[in-house]
Amino acid sequence: MLLHYAPGSPHSAAVRIVLGEKGLEPELHKLDLVGYEQHSPAYLAINPHGMVPVFEDDGRKVFESSLILEYLDDKWPDPPLAGTDPRQRYRARKWGKYVETHIAPHLAIARWAALHGKVPETAVAGLSNLLPARCELWLSARHGFGHEQLTASTQAIFAACKRLAADLADGEWLCGDSFTLGDIAVYPHAAQFGALGLPVPRAVDEWLARVAARPSVQAIRGDLFPLAVMGPEPGRWG
Amino acid sequence: MLDVYTWEPNANSGKPLFCLHEKAVPFTYHYIDMGAHEHHGAEFLAINPDGTIPAIVHDGFTMTESTPAMEYIDEAFDGPSLRPAEPYHRWRMRMLLRYMDNVVAPALAMIASNRLAAPRFIGQDADELRAMLERIPLPERRATWEKLMFQATAPADLAESERRVGDAIRRFDGILGRREWIAGDSFSLADIGVFATFYSLPTAREEQVNDAATPHLMRWLRTCHARPALQAALRMGKGFIAQRAAEIREKLGVAGAAAAA
Ligand SMILES: N[C@@H](CCC(=O)N[C@@H](CS)C(=O)NCC(=O)O)C(=O)O
Ligand SMILES: N[C@@H](CCC(=O)N[C@@H](CS)C(=O)NCC(=O)O)C(=O)O
Repeated sequence: MLLHYAPGSPHSAAVRIVLGEKGLEPELHKLDLVGYEQHSPAYLAINPHGMVPVFEDDGRKVFESSLILEYLDDKWPDPPLAGTDPRQRYRARKWGKYVETHIAPHLAIARWAALHGKVPETAVAGLSNLLPARCELWLSARHGFGHEQLTASTQAIFAACKRLAADLADGEWLCGDSFTLGDIAVYPHAAQFGALGLPVPRAVDEWLARVAARPSVQAIRGDLFPLAVMGPEPGRWG
Repeated sequence: MLDVYTWEPNANSGKPLFCLHEKAVPFTYHYIDMGAHEHHGAEFLAINPDGTIPAIVHDGFTMTESTPAMEYIDEAFDGPSLRPAEPYHRWRMRMLLRYMDNVVAPALAMIASNRLAAPRFIGQDADELRAMLERIPLPERRATWEKLMFQATAPADLAESERRVGDAIRRFDGILGRREWIAGDSFSLADIGVFATFYSLPTAREEQVNDAATPHLMRWLRTCHARPALQAALRMGKGFIAQRAAEIREKLGVAGAAAAA
């Protein structure tokens, strides 16, 4: 087992939290996102999308963090984290998907603006090695996101906060009465909202504190800082 | 009690219908006419405030994400299992569903709606169109409808979508050259997810999807179109889909071609 990951990557943090919950200790390959190591030819041979995390197991590569979480739970079901009944599992999967489509892309854009992200000259040439969609996104970042995109991204995060608060109205955890992959998929992203000056509803703040208290989260808390780096592509059509 | 609120059996709308037919689970089908914008009307918004279809309500539990809802259906009801048991194969099923949902289906939707829906708005009263936009709850959906209504989709975006669709067709043809089904050696939710948007390609994209260019994809499309459960789901459509599916079966030489005619 080998995990390619990076400090400052919320998607990587989610995987490390599950590994911690399950007591699994894969070999770790740490990438330096500030040094754009994820765009190096050596890493692009591992993941042509130039992104972390990637989990390797039995010689096979497993991508896409929320699906890595499910893979880990399918393969190492103890303790179970997918949810205790079909409804919880539906909610956990719904959140796993929502992070990718509605939270992470917008958080990355808001973060890039808040941290005054810049692509260093040394990293510019490397962008042309990326797949077309990744290259396009990085070129937009380099150019700087316009006011309209920033407003849309900030609004998307407010909308996400409202949905989080609505699902938390039923209990302590996002998907019902137990801690699940849904909490883990969302947490590392939502934990950055406050630091970026985005207001967080009280129910969400209290939930963040509950998740933060778990030993698996404590163990990786040094990885949770915001970093000016791109996330998934924002939706192109609805 | 199981209620499915959705439109024609295709794309996201079709996913729960195909899935329920494959498992032979009884349900009540509530037809939401997307062409008439019923999904933005008060009655449907009371069920799904986001105004997207499908919505699936099982004993009071409402689901509006079609891919997670398919896994729910597979877990909560009897019938043949539609997910591989082996963790890596199951991951592969989810990964390809994610690729369809986030990359391929939006690209196809952008192209199809620009071709089919956008022309209907030409010459319509701009204030009336604005009033329709106001009723759309999700900002990202509102933005796409605004582009359709005012013919504002960038040509570069359409070209990029074409590139993605072409890429996906080649990729799935490659996958199906290596294995029988999309995720492995058995029919799974990944087959349903791909079929829901690819079922019509042999006629809709005849020049790209045919026996010479994509033999493996064609082999798989024939097998899927021959499945009685998928045929039955396609026949539930009230609009053009049932007829279109019958024409595709005919073209593919698959039994059941005349069933909907
Ligand atoms: N869909 C991917 C997204 C992963 C992702 O966005 N990774 C970011 C860091 S959190 C990344 O590697 N960015 C580097 C880059 O794009 O160059 C997943 O869920 O794993
Ligand atoms: N996230 C939902 C999205 C569903 C969705 O976007 N459905 C389309 C029809 S295939 C829709 O409702 N469109 C509404 C609109 O364009 O206004 C899912 O995956 O099921």
